Amino acid sequence: MMGPMIGRVAAALLVLTGAAAAWAGNTLVAAGQRVAVAKSALTVAPASEWNRLGARPGRQTETWTLDGDPLNDLTFYGGIETGRPLFREVAKRTKPLPHFSSTMLLTDLPALFEQSYRIALDTPLVTIDASEPASFLGEKAVRFRYGFTRQGEEVKRQGEAVAAIVGGRLYMITFEAPSIHFFGRDIGRVRDLVASARLGA
Amino acid sequence: MIRAGIAALLAGLALAGAPVRAGAASGAGALPPYAGLYQPSTVDERGLWMKADEYERQLRDSAFVIRDAALNAYVRGVFCRTVGPDRCAAVRLYVMRVPQFNATMMPNGALQIWSGLLLRVRSEAELAGILGHEFAHFERRHGLGRLRHGRVMTDIASWAGVLGGVSGLVVQTQAIGSIFTHSRADESEADLLGARYGAAAGYDARALPAIWMRLMDEADATALGRRQRSHRYDRVSFFASHPTSAQRAADLRAAAAALPPGGESGDQRLVGAIAPWRSAFLEDQLKLNDFEGTDVLLRQIAEAGWSEDLLFARAELYRGRGHPRDLVAAADLYRQAIGLNAGHPESWRGLGLALLRGGQVDEGRQALRHYLAARPDAADASMLAALLT
Repeated sequence: MMGPMIGRVAAALLVLTGAAAAWAGNTLVAAGQRVAVAKSALTVAPASEWNRLGARPGRQTETWTLDGDPLNDLTFYGGIETGRPLFREVAKRTKPLPHFSSTMLLTDLPALFEQSYRIALDTPLVTIDASEPASFLGEKAVRFRYGFTRQGEEVKRQGEAVAAIVGGRLYMITFEAPSIHFFGRDIGRVRDLVASARLGA
Repeated sequence: MIRAGIAALLAGLALAGAPVRAGAASGAGALPPYAGLYQPSTVDERGLWMKADEYERQLRDSAFVIRDAALNAYVRGVFCRTVGPDRCAAVRLYVMRVPQFNATMMPNGALQIWSGLLLRVRSEAELAGILGHEFAHFERRHGLGRLRHGRVMTDIASWAGVLGGVSGLVVQTQAIGSIFTHSRADESEADLLGARYGAAAGYDARALPAIWMRLMDEADATALGRRQRSHRYDRVSFFASHPTSAQRAADLRAAAAALPPGGESGDQRLVGAIAPWRSAFLEDQLKLNDFEGTDVLLRQIAEAGWSEDLLFARAELYRGRGHPRDLVAAADLYRQAIGLNAGHPESWRGLGLALLRGGQVDEGRQALRHYLAARPDAADASMLAALLT
Protein backbone atom coordinates (compact mmCIF):
# COMPACT_ATOMS: atom_id res chain seq x y z
CA MET A 1 0.00 0.00 0.00
CA MET A 2 2.85 2.37 0.79
CA GLY A 3 4.46 2.24 -2.64
CA PRO A 4 1.62 3.83 -4.59
CA MET A 5 1.05 6.41 -1.85
CA ILE A 6 4.64 7.58 -1.88
CA GLY A 7 4.49 7.64 -5.66
CA ARG A 8 1.37 9.76 -5.55
CA VAL A 9 2.88 12.25 -3.10
CA ALA A 10 6.02 12.46 -5.22
CA ALA A 11 3.93 12.98 -8.33
CA ALA A 12 1.91 15.71 -6.61
CA LEU A 13 5.10 17.50 -5.55
CA LEU A 14 6.47 17.17 -9.05
CA VAL A 15 3.30 18.66 -10.50
CA LEU A 16 3.45 21.49 -7.96
CA THR A 17 7.05 22.34 -8.67
CA GLY A 18 6.47 21.90 -12.40
CA ALA A 19 3.49 24.24 -12.28
CA ALA A 20 5.47 26.79 -10.27
CA ALA A 21 8.35 26.64 -12.73
CA ALA A 22 5.99 26.96 -15.67
CA TRP A 23 4.17 29.87 -14.04
CA ALA A 24 7.46 31.63 -13.44
CA GLY A 25 8.36 31.18 -17.08
CA ASN A 26 5.41 33.08 -18.55
CA THR A 27 6.63 36.20 -20.31
CA LEU A 28 5.23 39.10 -22.28
CA VAL A 29 5.97 39.20 -26.00
CA ALA A 30 6.31 42.82 -27.07
CA ALA A 31 4.63 44.11 -30.19
CA GLY A 32 6.54 45.10 -33.27
CA GLN A 33 9.67 43.01 -32.73
CA ARG A 34 10.73 39.87 -34.51
CA VAL A 35 11.13 36.98 -32.07
CA ALA A 36 12.35 33.39 -32.40
CA VAL A 37 9.84 30.76 -31.24
CA ALA A 38 9.82 27.11 -30.17
CA LYS A 39 13.59 27.06 -29.65
CA SER A 40 14.02 26.96 -33.40
CA ALA A 41 14.90 29.09 -36.40
CA LEU A 42 11.23 29.98 -36.79
CA THR A 43 10.63 33.71 -36.21
CA VAL A 44 7.49 35.84 -36.20
CA ALA A 45 6.78 39.56 -35.84
CA PRO A 46 3.62 40.09 -33.75
CA ALA A 47 1.78 43.36 -34.33
CA SER A 48 0.26 43.25 -30.85
CA GLU A 49 1.29 41.94 -27.43
CA TRP A 50 1.01 38.25 -26.59
CA ASN A 51 1.80 36.09 -23.56
CA ARG A 52 4.33 33.34 -24.02
CA LEU A 53 3.52 30.39 -21.74
CA GLY A 54 6.39 28.84 -19.82
CA ALA A 55 4.73 25.43 -19.99
CA ARG A 56 5.49 24.06 -23.43
CA PRO A 57 3.48 21.23 -25.05
CA GLY A 58 6.66 19.53 -26.21
CA ARG A 59 10.36 19.96 -26.74
CA GLN A 60 10.07 21.82 -30.05
CA THR A 61 6.82 23.63 -29.41
CA GLU A 62 5.72 26.82 -27.72
CA THR A 63 2.33 28.30 -26.89
CA TRP A 64 1.21 31.93 -26.86
CA THR A 65 -2.10 33.22 -25.59
CA LEU A 66 -4.04 36.43 -25.02
CA ASP A 67 -6.49 35.51 -22.27
CA GLY A 68 -5.27 32.06 -21.21
CA ASP A 69 -4.78 29.00 -23.39
CA PRO A 70 -8.32 27.60 -22.98
CA LEU A 71 -9.57 30.81 -24.64
CA ASN A 72 -6.93 31.39 -27.30
CA ASP A 73 -4.06 29.05 -27.95
CA LEU A 74 -1.44 29.86 -30.57
CA THR A 75 1.09 27.05 -30.79
CA PHE A 76 4.30 26.97 -32.81
CA TYR A 77 5.86 23.69 -33.87
CA GLY A 78 9.47 24.48 -34.69
CA GLY A 79 10.93 21.68 -36.76
CA ILE A 80 9.61 18.33 -35.53
CA GLU A 81 12.00 15.58 -36.63
CA THR A 82 11.14 12.24 -38.20
CA GLY A 83 10.13 9.67 -35.60
CA ARG A 84 8.92 12.23 -33.05
CA PRO A 85 5.35 12.95 -31.95
CA LEU A 86 3.96 16.48 -32.38
CA PHE A 87 4.03 17.07 -28.64
CA ARG A 88 4.85 15.29 -25.40
CA GLU A 89 3.34 11.82 -24.94
CA VAL A 90 0.33 11.81 -22.62
CA ALA A 91 0.40 8.10 -21.82
CA LYS A 92 3.03 6.35 -23.85
CA ARG A 93 2.17 2.83 -22.68
CA THR A 94 -1.58 2.88 -23.10
CA LYS A 95 -2.11 5.42 -25.90
CA PRO A 96 1.10 6.33 -27.71
CA LEU A 97 1.00 9.26 -30.12
CA PRO A 98 1.69 8.84 -33.84
CA HIS A 99 5.05 10.04 -35.14
CA PHE A 100 5.92 12.51 -37.86
CA SER A 101 7.83 11.24 -40.86
CA SER A 102 9.60 13.37 -43.46
CA THR A 103 8.19 11.10 -46.19
CA MET A 104 4.66 12.27 -45.40
CA LEU A 105 2.67 14.07 -48.07
CA LEU A 106 1.22 17.47 -47.19
CA THR A 107 -2.20 15.81 -47.02
CA ASP A 108 -0.89 13.50 -44.29
CA LEU A 109 -0.16 16.43 -41.97
CA PRO A 110 -3.78 17.31 -41.08
CA ALA A 111 -4.39 13.59 -40.50
CA LEU A 112 -1.36 13.38 -38.19
CA PHE A 113 -2.59 16.41 -36.31
CA GLU A 114 -6.14 15.05 -36.00
CA GLN A 115 -4.95 11.69 -34.73
CA SER A 116 -2.60 13.29 -32.21
CA TYR A 117 -5.42 15.44 -30.84
CA ARG A 118 -7.87 12.55 -30.65
CA ILE A 119 -5.40 10.52 -28.62
CA ALA A 120 -4.01 13.28 -26.42
CA LEU A 121 -7.39 14.84 -25.63
CA ASP A 122 -9.18 11.50 -25.42
CA THR A 123 -11.96 12.46 -27.78
CA PRO A 124 -13.26 11.18 -31.12
CA LEU A 125 -14.88 14.57 -31.73
CA VAL A 126 -12.01 16.04 -33.74
CA THR A 127 -12.65 16.99 -37.35
CA ILE A 128 -10.59 18.44 -40.17
CA ASP A 129 -13.17 20.65 -41.79
CA ALA A 130 -11.27 21.82 -44.87
CA SER A 131 -7.76 21.93 -46.23
CA GLU A 132 -6.20 23.90 -49.05
CA PRO A 133 -2.78 24.54 -50.56
CA ALA A 134 -0.83 27.45 -49.11
CA SER A 135 2.64 28.90 -48.94
CA PHE A 136 4.49 28.90 -45.62
CA LEU A 137 8.17 29.68 -44.97
CA GLY A 138 8.65 29.88 -48.72
CA GLU A 139 7.54 26.28 -49.21
CA LYS A 140 4.44 24.51 -50.45
CA ALA A 141 2.21 24.07 -47.44
CA VAL A 142 -1.20 22.96 -46.30
CA ARG A 143 -3.64 25.22 -44.49
CA PHE A 144 -6.51 23.51 -42.67
CA ARG A 145 -9.42 24.31 -40.43
CA TYR A 146 -10.36 21.99 -37.60
CA GLY A 147 -12.77 21.65 -34.72
CA PHE A 148 -12.88 19.63 -31.53
CA THR A 149 -14.74 19.03 -28.29
CA ARG A 150 -13.14 17.52 -25.21
CA GLN A 151 -14.84 15.01 -22.94
CA GLY A 152 -16.19 16.42 -19.72
CA GLU A 153 -15.86 19.99 -20.93
CA GLU A 154 -18.16 20.15 -23.96
CA VAL A 155 -16.81 23.50 -25.22
CA LYS A 156 -16.81 23.55 -29.00
CA ARG A 157 -13.48 24.85 -30.26
CA GLN A 158 -12.41 25.87 -33.70
CA GLY A 159 -8.92 26.06 -35.11
CA GLU A 160 -6.84 27.00 -38.11
CA ALA A 161 -3.36 25.76 -38.93
CA VAL A 162 -0.67 25.97 -41.54
CA ALA A 163 2.02 23.34 -41.94
CA ALA A 164 5.00 22.69 -44.19
CA ILE A 165 7.92 20.30 -44.31
CA VAL A 166 11.19 22.19 -44.60
CA GLY A 167 14.44 20.26 -44.82
CA GLY A 168 12.69 17.10 -43.61
CA ARG A 169 11.29 18.80 -40.50
CA LEU A 170 7.74 19.78 -39.74
CA TYR A 171 6.98 23.44 -39.12
CA MET A 172 3.45 24.31 -38.13
CA ILE A 173 1.48 27.10 -36.48
CA THR A 174 -1.94 26.32 -35.03
CA PHE A 175 -4.50 28.64 -33.50
CA GLU A 176 -7.56 27.43 -31.63
CA ALA A 177 -10.24 29.09 -29.55
CA PRO A 178 -13.87 28.54 -28.51
CA SER A 179 -16.17 28.88 -31.52
CA ILE A 180 -18.29 31.32 -29.58
CA HIS A 181 -16.76 34.81 -29.73
CA PHE A 182 -13.06 34.04 -29.28
CA PHE A 183 -12.11 32.38 -32.56
CA GLY A 184 -13.73 35.05 -34.70
CA ARG A 185 -12.34 37.86 -32.57
CA ASP A 186 -8.69 36.84 -32.87
CA ILE A 187 -8.25 34.92 -36.12
CA GLY A 188 -7.52 38.09 -38.10
CA ARG A 189 -4.48 39.10 -36.08
CA VAL A 190 -3.31 35.49 -36.01
CA ARG A 191 -3.37 35.31 -39.81
CA ASP A 192 -1.24 38.49 -39.95
CA LEU A 193 1.19 36.98 -37.48
CA VAL A 194 1.40 33.72 -39.45
CA ALA A 195 2.09 35.72 -42.61
CA SER A 196 5.09 37.28 -40.87
CA ALA A 197 6.66 33.88 -40.13
CA ARG A 198 9.99 32.97 -41.66
CA LEU A 199 13.04 30.88 -40.91
CA GLY A 200 15.87 32.94 -39.47
CA ALA A 201 16.04 36.57 -38.46
CA MET B 1 -13.12 15.50 -15.82
CA ILE B 2 -16.69 14.46 -15.38
CA ARG B 3 -15.89 11.00 -16.52
CA ALA B 4 -13.04 10.62 -14.08
CA GLY B 5 -15.02 12.07 -11.19
CA ILE B 6 -18.06 9.99 -11.79
CA ALA B 7 -16.05 6.89 -12.53
CA ALA B 8 -14.62 7.15 -9.06
CA LEU B 9 -17.98 7.88 -7.52
CA LEU B 10 -19.82 5.10 -9.27
CA ALA B 11 -16.87 2.79 -9.52
CA GLY B 12 -17.39 -0.70 -10.74
CA LEU B 13 -20.55 -0.37 -12.73
CA ALA B 14 -18.75 -0.51 -16.03
CA LEU B 15 -18.88 -3.61 -18.14
CA ALA B 16 -15.15 -3.86 -18.65
CA GLY B 17 -12.43 -2.76 -16.37
CA ALA B 18 -9.09 -4.09 -15.66
CA PRO B 19 -9.30 -7.68 -15.83
CA VAL B 20 -13.32 -13.02 -10.22
CA ARG B 21 -14.87 -14.58 -8.28
CA ALA B 22 -17.37 -16.95 -9.68
CA GLY B 23 -20.58 -18.26 -8.35
CA ALA B 24 -21.94 -15.28 -6.43
CA ALA B 25 -25.26 -15.74 -8.13
CA SER B 26 -25.06 -19.45 -8.50
CA GLY B 27 -28.18 -21.50 -8.72
CA ALA B 28 -29.46 -20.88 -12.21
CA GLY B 29 -33.16 -20.38 -12.20
CA ALA B 30 -35.86 -17.79 -12.12
CA LEU B 31 -35.12 -14.12 -12.66
CA PRO B 32 -35.56 -11.87 -9.64
CA PRO B 33 -39.08 -10.46 -9.32
CA TYR B 34 -39.38 -6.87 -10.54
CA ALA B 35 -40.82 -4.33 -8.11
CA GLY B 36 -42.04 -1.77 -10.65
CA LEU B 37 -40.98 1.86 -10.76
CA TYR B 38 -38.29 1.98 -8.13
CA GLN B 39 -37.46 4.99 -6.00
CA PRO B 40 -34.40 5.30 -3.78
CA SER B 41 -35.21 4.65 -0.16
CA THR B 42 -32.41 5.21 2.36
CA VAL B 43 -30.22 8.27 2.95
CA ASP B 44 -27.33 6.55 1.21
CA GLU B 45 -29.31 5.60 -1.82
CA ARG B 46 -30.99 8.97 -2.17
CA GLY B 47 -27.59 10.64 -2.02
CA LEU B 48 -26.20 8.28 -4.63
CA TRP B 49 -29.14 8.93 -6.93
CA MET B 50 -28.88 12.67 -6.44
CA LYS B 51 -25.28 12.62 -7.66
CA ALA B 52 -26.18 10.32 -10.52
CA ASP B 53 -29.09 12.58 -11.50
CA GLU B 54 -26.77 15.58 -11.60
CA TYR B 55 -24.31 13.70 -13.78
CA GLU B 56 -27.08 12.51 -16.06
CA ARG B 57 -28.26 16.08 -16.62
CA GLN B 58 -24.84 16.84 -18.11
CA LEU B 59 -24.69 13.54 -19.95
CA ARG B 60 -28.05 14.16 -21.62
CA ASP B 61 -26.75 17.33 -23.31
CA SER B 62 -23.28 15.99 -24.13
CA ALA B 63 -21.89 16.30 -27.65
CA PHE B 64 -20.72 12.69 -27.27
CA VAL B 65 -24.26 11.26 -27.27
CA ILE B 66 -25.22 9.74 -30.63
CA ARG B 67 -28.76 10.96 -31.26
CA ASP B 68 -29.50 8.98 -34.42
CA ALA B 69 -33.11 7.86 -33.97
CA ALA B 70 -32.80 4.55 -35.81
CA LEU B 71 -29.71 3.40 -33.91
CA ASN B 72 -31.21 4.41 -30.57
CA ALA B 73 -34.48 2.68 -31.38
CA TYR B 74 -32.63 -0.49 -32.30
CA VAL B 75 -30.50 -0.65 -29.14
CA ARG B 76 -33.49 0.20 -26.99
CA GLY B 77 -35.55 -2.46 -28.77
CA VAL B 78 -32.97 -5.13 -28.00
CA PHE B 79 -32.77 -3.92 -24.41
CA CYS B 80 -36.55 -3.95 -23.93
CA ARG B 81 -36.84 -7.41 -25.42
CA THR B 82 -34.05 -8.63 -23.13
CA VAL B 83 -35.33 -7.35 -19.79
CA GLY B 84 -39.02 -6.96 -20.63
CA PRO B 85 -41.11 -3.79 -21.05
CA ASP B 86 -41.54 -3.04 -17.32
CA ARG B 87 -37.85 -3.09 -16.48
CA CYS B 88 -37.04 -1.33 -19.75
CA ALA B 89 -39.19 1.64 -18.77
CA ALA B 90 -37.00 2.27 -15.71
CA VAL B 91 -33.89 2.95 -17.79
CA ARG B 92 -32.62 5.80 -19.98
CA LEU B 93 -30.23 4.61 -22.61
CA TYR B 94 -27.39 6.73 -24.05
CA VAL B 95 -25.35 5.59 -27.04
CA MET B 96 -21.99 7.32 -26.66
CA ARG B 97 -19.38 8.13 -29.30
CA VAL B 98 -16.42 6.60 -27.46
CA PRO B 99 -14.28 4.21 -29.50
CA GLN B 100 -13.51 1.73 -26.71
CA PHE B 101 -15.37 -1.39 -25.58
CA ASN B 102 -17.52 -0.54 -22.60
CA ALA B 103 -20.97 0.03 -21.18
CA THR B 104 -21.85 1.51 -17.81
CA MET B 105 -24.89 1.66 -15.57
CA MET B 106 -25.48 4.38 -13.00
CA PRO B 107 -27.43 3.70 -9.79
CA ASN B 108 -30.38 5.79 -11.03
CA GLY B 109 -30.88 3.74 -14.18
CA ALA B 110 -28.90 5.73 -16.76
CA LEU B 111 -27.25 3.24 -19.09
CA GLN B 112 -24.37 4.23 -21.39
CA ILE B 113 -23.27 2.06 -24.24
CA TRP B 114 -20.13 3.03 -26.15
CA SER B 115 -19.72 3.00 -29.91
CA GLY B 116 -16.57 0.88 -29.59
CA LEU B 117 -18.75 -1.84 -28.07
CA LEU B 118 -21.28 -1.68 -30.89
CA LEU B 119 -18.41 -2.11 -33.36
CA ARG B 120 -17.22 -5.21 -31.51
CA VAL B 121 -20.39 -7.19 -30.81
CA ARG B 122 -21.23 -9.76 -33.42
CA SER B 123 -24.85 -10.60 -32.75
CA GLU B 124 -27.96 -9.39 -31.03
CA ALA B 125 -27.52 -12.23 -28.53
CA GLU B 126 -24.17 -10.76 -27.46
CA LEU B 127 -25.61 -7.27 -27.20
CA ALA B 128 -28.53 -8.63 -25.17
CA GLY B 129 -26.15 -10.32 -22.72
CA ILE B 130 -24.26 -7.06 -22.22
CA LEU B 131 -27.39 -4.95 -21.80
CA GLY B 132 -28.71 -7.58 -19.40
CA HIS B 133 -25.42 -7.37 -17.46
CA GLU B 134 -25.83 -3.61 -17.06
CA PHE B 135 -29.46 -3.91 -16.04
CA ALA B 136 -28.47 -6.51 -13.44
CA HIS B 137 -26.27 -3.87 -11.76
CA PHE B 138 -29.35 -1.67 -11.49
CA GLU B 139 -31.74 -4.38 -10.44
CA ARG B 140 -29.39 -5.75 -7.79
CA ARG B 141 -28.49 -2.22 -6.66
CA HIS B 142 -24.79 -2.93 -6.88
CA GLY B 143 -23.88 0.75 -6.73
CA LEU B 144 -25.45 1.10 -3.31
CA GLY B 145 -23.99 -2.16 -2.04
CA ARG B 146 -20.56 -1.09 -3.16
CA LEU B 147 -20.85 2.32 -1.53
CA ARG B 148 -21.80 0.79 1.82
CA HIS B 149 -19.31 -2.03 1.71
CA GLY B 150 -16.56 0.37 0.67
CA ARG B 151 -17.39 2.71 3.53
CA VAL B 152 -17.28 -0.01 6.15
CA MET B 153 -14.04 -1.39 4.79
CA THR B 154 -12.29 1.98 4.59
CA ASP B 155 -13.45 2.65 8.19
CA ILE B 156 -11.90 -0.61 9.26
CA ALA B 157 -8.73 0.21 7.36
CA SER B 158 -8.53 3.64 9.04
CA TRP B 159 -8.96 2.21 12.54
CA ALA B 160 -6.43 -0.48 11.76
CA GLY B 161 -4.03 2.31 10.83
CA VAL B 162 -4.50 3.78 14.33
CA LEU B 163 -3.81 0.33 15.75
CA GLY B 164 -0.54 0.28 13.83
CA GLY B 165 2.07 -2.43 13.65
CA VAL B 166 2.07 -5.54 11.53
CA SER B 167 -1.41 -6.63 12.62
CA GLY B 168 -2.80 -3.23 11.66
CA LEU B 169 -1.22 -3.53 8.24
CA VAL B 170 -2.65 -7.02 7.75
CA VAL B 171 -6.17 -5.84 8.65
CA GLN B 172 -5.80 -2.81 6.34
CA THR B 173 -4.73 -4.99 3.46
CA GLN B 174 -7.62 -7.37 3.97
CA ALA B 175 -10.15 -4.55 4.26
CA ILE B 176 -8.97 -2.85 1.06
CA GLY B 177 -8.78 -6.17 -0.75
CA SER B 178 -12.35 -6.88 0.30
CA ILE B 179 -13.59 -3.81 -1.60
CA PHE B 180 -12.23 -5.18 -4.85
CA THR B 181 -13.34 -8.75 -4.14
CA HIS B 182 -16.83 -7.41 -3.56
CA SER B 183 -16.70 -5.50 -6.86
CA ARG B 184 -15.60 -8.59 -8.77
CA ALA B 185 -18.38 -10.66 -7.19
CA ASP B 186 -20.91 -8.05 -8.38
CA GLU B 187 -19.54 -8.24 -11.91
CA SER B 188 -19.75 -12.02 -11.96
CA GLU B 189 -23.29 -11.89 -10.66
CA ALA B 190 -24.21 -9.36 -13.37
CA ASP B 191 -22.58 -11.51 -16.07
CA LEU B 192 -24.64 -14.52 -15.08
CA LEU B 193 -27.84 -12.58 -14.64
CA GLY B 194 -27.28 -10.93 -18.03
CA ALA B 195 -26.97 -14.35 -19.62
CA ARG B 196 -30.23 -15.41 -17.98
CA TYR B 197 -32.10 -12.30 -19.16
CA GLY B 198 -30.91 -12.97 -22.70
CA ALA B 199 -31.87 -16.63 -22.59
CA ALA B 200 -35.31 -15.83 -21.16
CA ALA B 201 -35.84 -13.43 -24.08
CA GLY B 202 -35.03 -16.15 -26.60
CA TYR B 203 -31.37 -15.34 -27.30
CA ASP B 204 -28.66 -17.94 -27.52
CA ALA B 205 -26.56 -17.62 -24.34
CA ARG B 206 -23.81 -19.76 -25.84
CA ALA B 207 -22.79 -16.71 -27.87
CA LEU B 208 -21.55 -14.80 -24.85
CA PRO B 209 -18.10 -16.28 -24.01
CA ALA B 210 -16.88 -15.45 -27.53
CA ILE B 211 -16.98 -11.69 -26.79
CA TRP B 212 -14.33 -12.08 -24.12
CA MET B 213 -12.23 -14.41 -26.24
CA ARG B 214 -12.17 -11.88 -29.07
CA LEU B 215 -11.33 -9.02 -26.70
CA MET B 216 -8.39 -11.03 -25.36
CA ASP B 217 -7.11 -11.65 -28.89
CA GLU B 218 -7.35 -7.95 -29.67
CA ALA B 219 -5.67 -6.96 -26.39
CA ASP B 220 -2.86 -9.43 -27.05
CA ALA B 221 -2.26 -7.89 -30.48
CA THR B 222 -2.29 -4.37 -29.05
CA ALA B 223 0.22 -5.41 -26.40
CA LEU B 224 2.42 -7.12 -28.97
CA GLY B 225 2.39 -4.04 -31.21
CA ARG B 226 3.46 -1.88 -28.28
CA ARG B 227 6.13 -4.34 -27.19
CA GLN B 228 4.32 -5.17 -23.97
CA ARG B 229 3.48 -8.52 -22.51
CA SER B 230 0.12 -10.25 -22.80
CA HIS B 231 -2.15 -10.18 -19.78
CA ARG B 232 -4.23 -13.07 -21.04
CA TYR B 233 -3.18 -15.62 -18.47
CA ASP B 234 -2.67 -13.24 -15.57
CA ARG B 235 -4.23 -14.14 -12.28
CA VAL B 236 -6.71 -11.63 -10.96
CA SER B 237 -4.81 -8.72 -9.43
CA PHE B 238 -5.39 -7.27 -5.97
CA PHE B 239 -6.92 -4.04 -7.27
CA ALA B 240 -8.96 -5.53 -10.14
CA SER B 241 -12.54 -4.27 -10.15
CA HIS B 242 -13.55 -6.88 -12.72
CA PRO B 243 -12.80 -10.57 -13.18
CA THR B 244 -10.25 -11.37 -15.89
CA SER B 245 -11.65 -11.82 -19.39
CA ALA B 246 -10.59 -15.48 -19.36
CA GLN B 247 -12.49 -16.05 -16.13
CA ARG B 248 -15.57 -14.31 -17.49
CA ALA B 249 -15.51 -16.41 -20.64
CA ALA B 250 -15.21 -19.60 -18.59
CA ASP B 251 -18.00 -18.60 -16.20
CA LEU B 252 -20.31 -17.62 -19.03
CA ARG B 253 -19.61 -20.89 -20.81
CA ALA B 254 -20.58 -22.81 -17.69
CA ALA B 255 -23.67 -20.63 -17.19
CA ALA B 256 -24.79 -21.11 -20.78
CA ALA B 257 -24.46 -24.88 -20.44
CA ALA B 258 -26.83 -24.80 -17.48
CA LEU B 259 -29.46 -22.83 -19.39
CA PRO B 260 -31.95 -24.48 -21.73
CA PRO B 261 -30.37 -24.88 -25.20
CA GLY B 262 -31.59 -23.06 -28.28
CA GLY B 263 -32.33 -19.44 -28.86
CA GLU B 264 -31.43 -17.19 -31.77
CA SER B 265 -28.32 -15.10 -32.38
CA GLY B 266 -29.92 -12.29 -34.40
CA ASP B 267 -26.60 -11.54 -36.08
CA GLN B 268 -28.07 -10.27 -39.35
CA ARG B 269 -30.33 -7.80 -37.56
CA LEU B 270 -27.40 -6.44 -35.59
CA VAL B 271 -25.20 -6.06 -38.66
CA GLY B 272 -28.05 -4.30 -40.46
CA ALA B 273 -28.65 -1.88 -37.60
CA ILE B 274 -24.98 -0.97 -37.18
CA ALA B 275 -24.33 -0.72 -40.94
CA PRO B 276 -25.07 3.02 -41.33
CA TRP B 277 -22.58 3.75 -38.55
CA ARG B 278 -19.91 1.18 -39.21
CA SER B 279 -17.69 3.41 -41.34
CA ALA B 280 -17.72 6.14 -38.70
CA PHE B 281 -16.97 3.68 -35.89
CA LEU B 282 -14.17 2.12 -37.95
CA GLU B 283 -12.71 5.57 -38.61
CA ASP B 284 -12.67 6.32 -34.87
CA GLN B 285 -10.89 3.02 -34.27
CA LEU B 286 -8.32 3.67 -37.03
CA LYS B 287 -7.34 6.96 -35.43
CA LEU B 288 -6.40 5.37 -32.10
CA ASN B 289 -2.89 4.58 -33.36
CA ASP B 290 -3.19 0.89 -32.44
CA PHE B 291 -2.03 -0.87 -35.60
CA GLU B 292 -1.87 -4.46 -34.39
CA GLY B 293 -5.04 -4.38 -32.29
CA THR B 294 -7.02 -2.74 -35.08
CA ASP B 295 -5.74 -5.24 -37.63
CA VAL B 296 -6.94 -8.13 -35.44
CA LEU B 297 -10.27 -6.39 -34.88
CA LEU B 298 -10.77 -5.90 -38.61
CA ARG B 299 -9.97 -9.53 -39.29
CA GLN B 300 -12.45 -10.56 -36.59
CA ILE B 301 -15.20 -8.44 -38.12
CA ALA B 302 -14.32 -9.75 -41.58
CA GLU B 303 -14.70 -13.39 -40.56
CA ALA B 304 -17.89 -13.52 -42.60
CA GLY B 305 -16.10 -11.96 -45.58
CA TRP B 306 -14.25 -8.79 -46.55
CA SER B 307 -16.67 -6.11 -47.64
CA GLU B 308 -15.56 -2.88 -49.29
CA ASP B 309 -15.74 -0.80 -46.08
CA LEU B 310 -13.56 -3.32 -44.21
CA LEU B 311 -11.02 -3.51 -47.05
CA PHE B 312 -10.96 0.29 -47.17
CA ALA B 313 -10.49 0.51 -43.39
CA ARG B 314 -7.61 -1.97 -43.50
CA ALA B 315 -6.04 -0.07 -46.39
CA GLU B 316 -6.27 3.17 -44.41
CA LEU B 317 -4.66 1.41 -41.45
CA TYR B 318 -1.68 0.35 -43.54
CA ARG B 319 -1.36 3.68 -45.31
CA GLY B 320 -1.47 5.39 -41.93
CA ARG B 321 1.53 3.43 -40.65
CA GLY B 322 3.27 4.32 -43.87
CA HIS B 323 6.30 1.98 -44.10
CA PRO B 324 7.16 1.40 -47.78
CA ARG B 325 5.77 -2.15 -47.55
CA ASP B 326 2.61 -0.83 -45.89
CA LEU B 327 2.02 1.52 -48.82
CA VAL B 328 2.24 -1.43 -51.22
CA ALA B 329 -0.16 -3.47 -49.07
CA ALA B 330 -2.52 -0.49 -48.77
CA ALA B 331 -2.62 0.05 -52.54
CA ASP B 332 -3.50 -3.61 -53.00
CA LEU B 333 -6.29 -3.39 -50.42
CA TYR B 334 -7.71 -0.21 -51.98
CA ARG B 335 -7.74 -1.97 -55.35
CA GLN B 336 -9.62 -4.91 -53.80
CA ALA B 337 -12.18 -2.49 -52.37
CA ILE B 338 -12.53 -0.83 -55.77
CA GLY B 339 -12.89 -4.31 -57.27
CA LEU B 340 -15.94 -4.88 -55.08
CA ASN B 341 -17.34 -1.43 -55.76
CA ALA B 342 -15.70 0.72 -58.40
CA GLY B 343 -17.83 3.62 -57.26
CA HIS B 344 -16.24 3.85 -53.79
CA PRO B 345 -14.55 7.27 -54.15
CA GLU B 346 -12.66 7.20 -50.82
CA SER B 347 -10.79 4.12 -52.01
CA TRP B 348 -9.60 6.05 -55.08
CA ARG B 349 -8.41 8.84 -52.81
CA GLY B 350 -6.53 6.44 -50.55
CA LEU B 351 -5.07 4.58 -53.52
CA GLY B 352 -3.83 7.82 -55.05
CA LEU B 353 -2.19 8.99 -51.82
CA ALA B 354 -0.62 5.58 -51.11
CA LEU B 355 0.87 5.44 -54.60
CA LEU B 356 2.09 9.04 -54.46
CA ARG B 357 3.80 8.51 -51.13
CA GLY B 358 5.26 5.26 -52.45
CA GLY B 359 6.78 7.13 -55.38
CA GLN B 360 4.39 5.93 -58.13
CA VAL B 361 3.51 9.44 -59.14
CA ASP B 362 1.66 8.99 -62.45
CA GLU B 363 -0.59 6.15 -61.25
CA GLY B 364 -1.21 8.00 -58.02
CA ARG B 365 -2.31 11.15 -59.79
CA GLN B 366 -4.60 9.14 -62.02
CA ALA B 367 -6.33 7.63 -58.99
CA LEU B 368 -6.71 11.06 -57.41
CA ARG B 369 -8.29 12.37 -60.61
CA HIS B 370 -10.85 9.55 -60.28
CA TYR B 371 -11.63 10.70 -56.77
CA LEU B 372 -11.88 14.39 -57.66
CA ALA B 373 -14.19 13.61 -60.57
CA ALA B 374 -16.51 11.78 -58.15
CA ARG B 375 -16.14 14.27 -55.29
CA PRO B 376 -15.40 17.70 -56.76
CA ASP B 377 -16.72 19.34 -53.57
CA ALA B 378 -14.60 17.31 -51.14
CA ALA B 379 -13.26 19.35 -48.20
CA ASP B 380 -9.69 18.69 -49.33
CA ALA B 381 -10.35 18.93 -53.09
CA SER B 382 -8.08 21.94 -53.72
CA MET B 383 -5.30 20.36 -51.65
CA LEU B 384 -5.51 17.13 -53.62
CA ALA B 385 -5.67 19.05 -56.89
CA ALA B 386 -2.39 20.70 -55.90
CA LEU B 387 -0.79 17.25 -55.77
CA LEU B 388 -1.66 16.67 -59.42
CA THR B 389 0.98 19.06 -60.75
